[in-house]
Amino acid sequence: MLLVLSDEHKEHLGFLPKVDPAVVGEFGRIAVEFLKKGSNPKIYEGAARKLNVPSETVQHGVEGLMYLLTESSKLMISEIDFQDSVLVLGFSEELNKLLLQLYLENRKEVRQILSELAPSLPHYRNLEWRFDVQLGSRALRQHVKPAICLKLHLESGGTQTARVLQTDPATLLHLIQELECALAEVKSNHCRRILRNIK
Amino acid sequence: MRFRFCGDLDCPDWVLAEISTLARISSVKMKLLCVQVIKDLLDEDIDYEKVSKLTSDAKFESGDIKASVAVLSFILSSAAKHDVDGESLSSELQQLGLPKEHTTGLCKSYEDKHAALQQKLKESSLRLGRLEVVNWRVDYTLSSSELKEVNEPVVQLRLQSQNPESGSSETSVVTVGAEKFRVLLTGMSIFFKYYYYYYY
Repeated sequence: MLLVLSDEHKEHLGFLPKVDPAVVGEFGRIAVEFLKKGSNPKIYEGAARKLNVPSETVQHGVEGLMYLLTESSKLMISEIDFQDSVLVLGFSEELNKLLLQLYLENRKEVRQILSELAPSLPHYRNLEWRFDVQLGSRALRQHVKPAICLKLHLESGGTQTARVLQTDPATLLHLIQELECALAEVKSNHCRRILRNIK
Repeated sequence: MRFRFCGDLDCPDWVLAEISTLARISSVKMKLLCVQVIKDLLDEDIDYEKVSKLTSDAKFESGDIKASVAVLSFILSSAAKHDVDGESLSSELQQLGLPKEHTTGLCKSYEDKHAALQQKLKESSLRLGRLEVVNWRVDYTLSSSELKEVNEPVVQLRLQSQNPESGSSETSVVTVGAEKFRVLLTGMSIFFKYYYYYYY
């Protein structure tokens, strides 16, 4: 599967052949650092001063490298496909080899970073419960009505929320039964076959 | 095997594993460690320096220190939760393999602070929408745009309560007319009559 690079992207990467291969290697290292920890504009300015070019050009070059890395890691393209995609840019043999090496060394780590960007649903943090009995009310005196009050604490990407729920014992038993069915489903033949094939 | 201090359920595997860790320190040091853990359960400040000093003789690593504090927390709070007396706790812990001297020390600390632990657990039980502050004021309406002579008392209530879901404070201001306020008070007094009836 070939990567299709947009014209703007090709333009940004066009800066790379104009500098030393060692500098391109350095840019590659900076690009991976930025993917791991976030970008730092001061580094662009320092590099721009040393190379005597506007900092915007350096920024575009590094960002172009970052995008190339993330797109290739995302699609998990093979070596040959990567080389063919980069061939389109018309770089020297040495530069192509450098980019390929950058890709192969870092693709596993980039994939790990990308996997953390997937949207996540709120997940369980804590459950508090309380068993109450209603003895009477303004409308009806002297009855016995058991109720279970639940406070479900959830967490979603750093923010914590809580939901208050109330149920009677019969519904709670039904809920428990349904959840146990769900757990038992993992042990069924169908699920076992799928899990075996994935592993 | 069912244990009373686990609520008539099986003892969790990690508790069994960490009991053998506890047996590595001397019984005197374990009693002092219990005192620290109980302080933490009662929300008083736990002195981590003392804890690490107590466990340094047995050469506990940080993982071992955390594990021993966790297992003591679990045993003490679970026993208080299920209202287990000191003797039953002692015999059950010995069945699990905790040496006799350690068990005696632990149960002595537990019995000393049993009531305080249960009180703390009762306070931290689930409460929704706790009423925090009530302010009131009685005004007397002389006249209004609708009627020239009104001459009616009116009660203003300011209730500060806790939002059941987010836990933050919410204020609501309510104005109650004289008749409605009487109805409210009558309802409240009937409630208290029932309250005393069920409790005493």
